[in-house]
Amino acid sequence: MKRNIILIIIGLCLALWPLGGYQEGIVILMCINCIAAMGVSILTGFTGIFTLGHAAYMALGAYTTAIMTVRYGVHWLPAVIAGGLMAVLIAWLIGVPTLKLTGDYYAIASIGLGEAIRLILENWQSFTRGARGFPGIDPYTTRTMAVTTFIILAIMTFNFLDSRLGRELRASRDDSTAASLMGFNTPHTRMKALVISAFFCGIAGSLLGGYMSFIQPSMFDMMKSTELTAVVVFGGLGSMSGTILGSAAITLIMEYFRDISQYRMLIYGLLLVVIMVFRPEGLLGSREIWELFRVRRQKNNA
Amino acid sequence: MAFTFSTLIQQIINGLSLGSVYALIAVGYSLVYSILLFSNFAHGGFLVVGGYACYYLLTQWGYGVAFSMFGALIASGLAAIITERLAYKPIRERTTTTLYLLIASMGVNIVIENLFVVTVGGRIRALPQNTFPTGIFRLWEGVTLSASDILSLVTAVIFLSLLQIFLNRTRWGLAIRAAACDIRTAGLMGVNVTFLISLVFFVAGVLAAVGGIFLSVRYSLYPQLGSITTKAFIAAVIGGLGSLPGAVVGSLILGLAEMLTAGFISSQMRDLVVYSLLVIMLLIRPAGFFGKAVSEKI
Repeated sequence: MKRNIILIIIGLCLALWPLGGYQEGIVILMCINCIAAMGVSILTGFTGIFTLGHAAYMALGAYTTAIMTVRYGVHWLPAVIAGGLMAVLIAWLIGVPTLKLTGDYYAIASIGLGEAIRLILENWQSFTRGARGFPGIDPYTTRTMAVTTFIILAIMTFNFLDSRLGRELRASRDDSTAASLMGFNTPHTRMKALVISAFFCGIAGSLLGGYMSFIQPSMFDMMKSTELTAVVVFGGLGSMSGTILGSAAITLIMEYFRDISQYRMLIYGLLLVVIMVFRPEGLLGSREIWELFRVRRQKNNA
Repeated sequence: MAFTFSTLIQQIINGLSLGSVYALIAVGYSLVYSILLFSNFAHGGFLVVGGYACYYLLTQWGYGVAFSMFGALIASGLAAIITERLAYKPIRERTTTTLYLLIASMGVNIVIENLFVVTVGGRIRALPQNTFPTGIFRLWEGVTLSASDILSLVTAVIFLSLLQIFLNRTRWGLAIRAAACDIRTAGLMGVNVTFLISLVFFVAGVLAAVGGIFLSVRYSLYPQLGSITTKAFIAAVIGGLGSLPGAVVGSLILGLAEMLTAGFISSQMRDLVVYSLLVIMLLIRPAGFFGKAVSEKI
């Protein structure tokens, strides 16, 4: 309960604090990136399935919403939800055959599937306008809207992770054989995690489309997928608050270097290597941020 | 597009030529995977290092073709060793999770690519025209065979045979094969594992440079040239990660599939076919044609 109130207070600060137009854009981008990262964190951090293709679900969300709002004049709210649901549908279709792959092989398959989805969007000229991109999307992603979506999804995620299903995900990550012997249907658990993560990424993609008013298949390539997984690893596998902090931090760092765009990717690459070399467990390891405070308090009492 | 016999032959020639370049690169992926069990995505970076080293040795410093190529191979091999020492070794010593190595290797790839963007610029360059023989032979109506096709096939055969001899006939080759079986036991038997891993990376880097030089001759040279190695990686997966004959067979299959699609369906479908092949292969037989099937240990 206390956690939900703190999240709502953070949300109110983000939404109401007076900011200039540029800072407002950063807040929106931060919320979008955090939503996508939360999705990948559920799958990679809490269920232990590594993905390198989740940008494709963002693309699906973005294109569904864009086509619905621009071509059919649907209001953005149902269109954004439809974007998330489209990602869910495709994730389910993909998950049925591929989730039985374990270890690196799922990651490799997800590269192939992610790139295949991007190429289909790129080549389906009549429907998606191809590689040149899809312009003229209503800028429906305002700061209030992005922050509200982020906070609602964050509260849902934290409570979900404490629920029976959340423990089921962790059990199947830590030892899937033991979990299935305890009576969990682990293939179902993995599917649930995939579908939920796809929903988050779909929503993030829809919001991104509404923020940029322009989307292009190349925005959702393998590089973006890698970034999503890298951010989760940076925040700490198995730590949702770490994921959110990590994603916000990476967004700010990349924004800070926007002026020297030539060096931006160089710095990003170096950051990836340096994090993996010096702190592979990420910012918070597998603990949540309040657990750090709790540990300290217990130490003080003793 | 109409189906004609000459198009078929032409696309088979093109496919074999492309496949032979893939094979040189894919073998590097498989070699590293067989020892360290991770997919080294920095491989594309090594290839770009080789391409640029060859370009600068030829044009700026005016060395001969043979020396420039030799220098490029060494430069790329050294880049691979440095990457291994600086980025992978500390991670390997700390954890057994190969995902960290995977992400680090993607980071290295981005770093190398953008080092070239920052220092020499993203401009597209071409190796001097007279570097390699360029003639085009007309076999019959509508079918041509270019000198670079022959050259890439011959070079691939030479380098892959050399690799085979190295692995099967030398002491270090024996050590590498032992380490591919079980790296810990190989270490206990007295193999210097640190040196062995550097050696494997050097060999992989050298092969990547050969691929890089060919690609920059055929197309052109630019910092993002390394992204083509994604396809070589797919070829290695289709053949079975960690298996060298698998990497060669996978590369030829992929090269042929790509060129036949381009010839008979449309060239935009090339990449889609490649990724579909990857996914289908993983679904039917995740270990690829020649890979070791792994079963879960309880």
